[in-house]
Parts: sequence; structure tokens; C-alpha cells
Amino acid sequence: MTASEINIIVPAFFACLLVLSTHVPLGTEVLRRGIIFIDLAIAQVAGLGVIAADTMGWEAEGWMVQFAAVTAAMLAAFILHLTDKRYPEIQEALIGVAFVLAATVGILLLAGNPHGGEHLKELLVGQILWVNYEQLLPAAVVCALVLMAWYRIRDRLQHFGFYAIFAFAVTVSVQLVGIYMVFACLIIPALATRRIERRGVRIASGYAVGIAGCMLGLILTLRADLPAGAVIVMCMAVVALLFALLLKFR
Amino acid sequence: MKSVATLILLIVTPVSASAIDIFACEPEWGSLATELAGDKANVTVATTAFQDPHRLQAKPSLIAAIRRANMVICTGADLEIGWLPLLLRRAGNSSIQAGNPGHFMAADYVRKLEVPKIIDRSQGDIHPQGNPHVHLDPRNIRRIGIALGDRLREIDPANAAYYDSRLADFQSRWNESIDVWEQNSADLAGIRLASNHRSFSYFAAWLDLNIVATLEPKPGIPASGAQLATLLEQLSSNPPAAVIRTPYANERPSKWLSTQLKIPEVKLPYTIGGADNVSDLFALFEESIAILRELAQ
Repeated sequence: MTASEINIIVPAFFACLLVLSTHVPLGTEVLRRGIIFIDLAIAQVAGLGVIAADTMGWEAEGWMVQFAAVTAAMLAAFILHLTDKRYPEIQEALIGVAFVLAATVGILLLAGNPHGGEHLKELLVGQILWVNYEQLLPAAVVCALVLMAWYRIRDRLQHFGFYAIFAFAVTVSVQLVGIYMVFACLIIPALATRRIERRGVRIASGYAVGIAGCMLGLILTLRADLPAGAVIVMCMAVVALLFALLLKFR
Repeated sequence: MKSVATLILLIVTPVSASAIDIFACEPEWGSLATELAGDKANVTVATTAFQDPHRLQAKPSLIAAIRRANMVICTGADLEIGWLPLLLRRAGNSSIQAGNPGHFMAADYVRKLEVPKIIDRSQGDIHPQGNPHVHLDPRNIRRIGIALGDRLREIDPANAAYYDSRLADFQSRWNESIDVWEQNSADLAGIRLASNHRSFSYFAAWLDLNIVATLEPKPGIPASGAQLATLLEQLSSNPPAAVIRTPYANERPSKWLSTQLKIPEVKLPYTIGGADNVSDLFALFEESIAILRELAQ
């Protein structure tokens, strides 16, 4: 690998690590609760927040975009927390409805205000190869806070805690790597390790699967010159499948 | 020992070392760069005729190319706003950042059409700097070519004489071609066309084509049911000769209009590579005019 190739993939690799750091532990919880599509719904609502802010005449720039996105995501998290308490048996379906509602309200708002469309694309279609170090630093701070909250004060925050932490983590990650990679990092390592009983071992194995998928994906991206996010998702799935088979037939 | 010999050979061989690396955002600028710089430049083109220049997927080769580039040639006027700033930030290459000679935005050198008088959110995905699809007026290519020649001389003064002679040669062939094209297309003046997006405004302004309707009443936003109904009502009594679109545009809206009005749906090449036989700027205009002439008959 040449120096310039390393230059191209190192920031992307760090972005991968940051997203995995929060999504592997969150993913096991999402899988346990059976609310797989919550990340799609939260990300879409975060995008809707940005469009709505723009429509209301805020010149959404820089941190204002982030503020609007996180506020909307938190609001969605709060509502989904309430519905989870009240109607746990239909929570997955409600999450699906929240997703299509957010997406379609976005289309309707955009019919009158196309500038939000650019922000929405930036939010939902983050591309891992475009990531630079200036973006990684604030993301790293947020990921550290999310992990701290997850392991220290989650119990004190109780039920809403999970949804709130999740909303934060997804809003940040989606801008770095896009929605497909966020979904993959959340669900695939958790699926691959579901037969592992001990929690610590399971999380560690999840990280290993995720990191291996990422490294393999980035190397393949360079060799085949293909869009990185899609290749990483493929590689993560392959690594996870091999890992799950190994666990089963060991 | 052999590798040492190769290394020495590489160091003393001047040809590849003196060539400049050019990163072109769209095929039309890659083609213009090749016309003017010949074998003194290695040109990398970021998009093809089948990719919407408003959007781009990040690939490793693009980042590698922009890192080693001595010059970027793009349209500007916000056409690449969704990806070029990100790519430039990722380049870690100061010579191509805005304000430096290696940063060349073609639309800066021409007068733009459709510059909004009021920048207003109600106007759609409009470019505040005007319509960025400037390359389809060959007179714009002429102006941009002169500016690009100046810039090449500034970046690579050692080859200034070479660039001057290539520019002079290109300009004389280009001016002759413009005369021929204008003669050949005299009977196209006033031909009525519908278009998918405002991609052909400069082409239409040059040849005096009459674009009577745009399927996206606001650029970048699909039409509503009511807008489409009004459009059909307006056009059905006097249908345009055809509905035209770019190779990268979604074909559904134009197919729909074509079926409704029973008029042909036509894909114009739009840029280099947009049709099989369009391999340079000359062929681009020849083929576009040939397609329209066939329609007019």
C-alpha cells in the first residue's frame, strides 16, 4: 500500500471505529428489543428537523444544522419511548410508520423549500471517504459522551435513557458514514454474535467483526476503486457470516 | 541492480516529470484541457456523461487524483456544490484551493443566463449564480478556452509557447466550426421543444431554439399533479416538436410527456461520451445539431 493510499483510507478507518464504538453495544440492545429499523426512523426525523428549521426561516448553517437535527431526533426518541412503554406489542410497526411519515413530510416541506434538500442529503448520505480530521474530532467527543452515558448513567436515565442515547449516536454517525453503514454497524455485529452468552465477550467479538469488515472493505475499496460505504457493508456481512458459522460448528 | 537502473532512468526521463496533472469535474472540461494542453497534461475526469454532475459518489481514485493534481477545472456556479468542497477539503493540496491559479471555474468567464433577480426560496433548487450548464454555447467554450490557456501558461511557464500554439490552433478550428454549425442550423431557429431540466438553456439561446416548457417548473423539484395538468393543457393544442433530456436524467418524466402528447422523446448527448460517436467537443455540437435537424424534417 502506498503512502497516498494510506492517506485516503486512514480517516475513513477512524470514522468506522467511531461509529462501531457506539453502535456495537447499542446494536445488541436494539436486537434484543426487536426494534431493528429504529435507526432509519431516527435518522429520517433528524433530517426532517433540518428541513423544518430551514422552512421556518433559520439559515441553517454549521452548528445550527446539528442543533435542529439533534432536537428533532430527541423528540422522536421521546415519542418512541412513550409508545414503547404503552404499546410494546406494536412498537416495531410504529417505528416503521414514523419512518415513512418523516420521509414523506420531508418531501412535502421540500416542495416549497429545496435548500433543505441539500442539508437532508448531507445528513442521510454521508460518505465515508469524504470524512476529514476536522469532522472526526467533534464526532469522537460525542461518541465518548455516548459511551460514558451508556455505561455509567443509563440506569439512572431509565427507559428513556436508551432512546435518548441512541438518538444522539445515530444523528452523529449518519453524517459521517451514511445510513446504510450505520444500519450495518448496528445490526450485523450484533447478529453475528447473538449466540455468545457472556456480555463482555459478545461486545468484544462484535467489535472484532465490525473492525475486520471495515478493514477488509477499505482495502477492497482501494483495489477495486468502488464507493467505500457499499463495499464495507458487503465485507462486514461476509465476515459476520463466517464468524457465525465458526461459532456454530466449533 | 536492475531497479537502480530503472530509478535512474526515471529521474533522467523528462517527459512524464514535466507533464502537469489536471483534475476535470466534467467531461467537457477534460476535453477542453486535452485540446489545449495535449501531451503536456495527464487529465483525470471525475464524472461521465451518465452521471449527474450535481451528485458524485466518493471513490478512492478521485481522492488520489485530486491530491496529485496541479489544477482543477470545474464548472463552478454551484453546480458541484454538493461534492467539490468536500473533495477539495480532503485533497490536502493547497495549489488547487480557491484563489490559487490551480483552481479554475469555467463559469466565471461567461455571462450566465437565468440569474435570479430575487434569491427566494420559492424559486426551487435554483442556482443563485445563474444556470451553470454553460458549455453548450460554443461561444462560451471559446471564451473559457482563452482563459484556460492563460491559466495553463501561468501554472507551467516552461511550456507557455506550446500552450499558445495549441490554443491558437484550437481557436481557429473552433471558430470555423461555429460558422459551419450556425449555417447548418439556421432552419432550427424557433423550433419548439420541451425539456426535462434546464440543462439546455445555453444551447437554446445560441441557436434560437424555443424551449416552451420545462418538466420541472422549479429546477430540481418534480412537478405536482396540477402543474402537469396545466402543462398538458397548454401544450396539447400546439405540441412541441420533441421533449429533450440529458443522458443522465431520469427518462420517466420525458417518456410520460412524450406518450401524452405523442411527440418523440430525444436524448441529446449533453457532453463528451453522451452518445457513442461523441468523443470530443467538436463531435458534441455536430451530433446535437444533427439530432435536432433530423427532428425538424
